[in-house]
Amino acid sequence: MPPAVKKTSVSEDPQVYENLHVHEVYEKIAVHFSATRYKPWPIIAQFLSGLPEGWIGLDSGTGNGKYLPLPENNSVLVGLDRSFNLLKIARHAGSNNAVREVVRGDVLDSPWRPGIFDYAISIATIHHLATTQRRKLAVQRLLQAVSDSHGRILIYVWAIEQDELSKREIPVEDSTVSEKTTMGQDVFVPWNLNRQSTRSDNETQIFNRYYHMFAKGELIALVVEAARELGLHIGPRGRDQEIKQGVDIVQDGWERSNYYIELRRWKA
Amino acid sequence: MVRLITHNLLACHAKGCTSNNFPLAFSNVQIEIREAEFNPEFLKNFIPKVEWNALVDTARQLGDTSLPLEQPEMLDEEFLKSLHHVLLEIHVEEGVMTCPNCKHEYPISNGIPNMLLAEHEIG
Ligand SMILES: [Zn+2]
Repeated sequence: MPPAVKKTSVSEDPQVYENLHVHEVYEKIAVHFSATRYKPWPIIAQFLSGLPEGWIGLDSGTGNGKYLPLPENNSVLVGLDRSFNLLKIARHAGSNNAVREVVRGDVLDSPWRPGIFDYAISIATIHHLATTQRRKLAVQRLLQAVSDSHGRILIYVWAIEQDELSKREIPVEDSTVSEKTTMGQDVFVPWNLNRQSTRSDNETQIFNRYYHMFAKGELIALVVEAARELGLHIGPRGRDQEIKQGVDIVQDGWERSNYYIELRRWKA
Repeated sequence: MVRLITHNLLACHAKGCTSNNFPLAFSNVQIEIREAEFNPEFLKNFIPKVEWNALVDTARQLGDTSLPLEQPEMLDEEFLKSLHHVLLEIHVEEGVMTCPNCKHEYPISNGIPNMLLAEHEIG
């Protein structure tokens, strides 16, 4: 039975808050965390296997790099993460002999030539950012990292609406999960780390990781606002000659306790 | 791993550094050569994205002079093999990458380049 999720609220500087409740936690639990993360979700696997040969992708918030081996035969996926300990694992994701491309950096930065990637994925990452402003900036970084003429993007975030199989108890009132709301819920998800102590008994250390659980409709609203601020038209390329560039929402939905959205950039 | 395929994508992102911020120059490097599977189709598709001068200069910094200064029009097997080696088989394990414009230094350790900036360096 997974430990219960508790409500929280972000009261400090968001960068300081994320350092304490996201980055430091992953640095400490990296090895243990990685051992539990190996199954790719179907929609992500499908997205990665359908890419043209020679494409270069960015996995923004790669964690232990579990997606890095997937497009092996047809494209290269570069993993970006803040956690050095997770990146050391990600380097060899899939096999100890394998070498993966990984870069240490922040998902809110842009240490790349603009628009150089053909595609980008952001899986279970944006929900660790502590304000709407920062989550929107992370989406804008993805939009800027990919080609303005053909760049494809896939984003996954944790949903308030949980899978029955996950058995997690989510402390939200019924009113907050109504269709109308687009406000998510800030929570702590505990991670129990068993470590061999110097004495004979085991000690369990509990690390609380911060998550913003997304409400229904919140991800798509975030993406639309992020794209509009960059001057991008939302929707497929139409006949209107005035509209020079845009982003099409290819699909969006819910899969296994997560909301996802797939995007494609275009230029007239 | 920093291979030149990844290095060719990186640019300095320190505060105010927006032009001439690429390619980052290697120094004090430790290199390992690891064989990779030759995939000419992948290379042909990747070529349009390569910043050619940056790639050639960087390969020369690392002691590899197999690439021509001008990107050839004919993609013969010999050329593709050289390109394959430069992009995918040279691994920089340790070292420093320096921005040609603002001279900001990005260290590489355990094959992982660190592009994080301190709070006051973020643009
Ligand atoms: Zn610079």
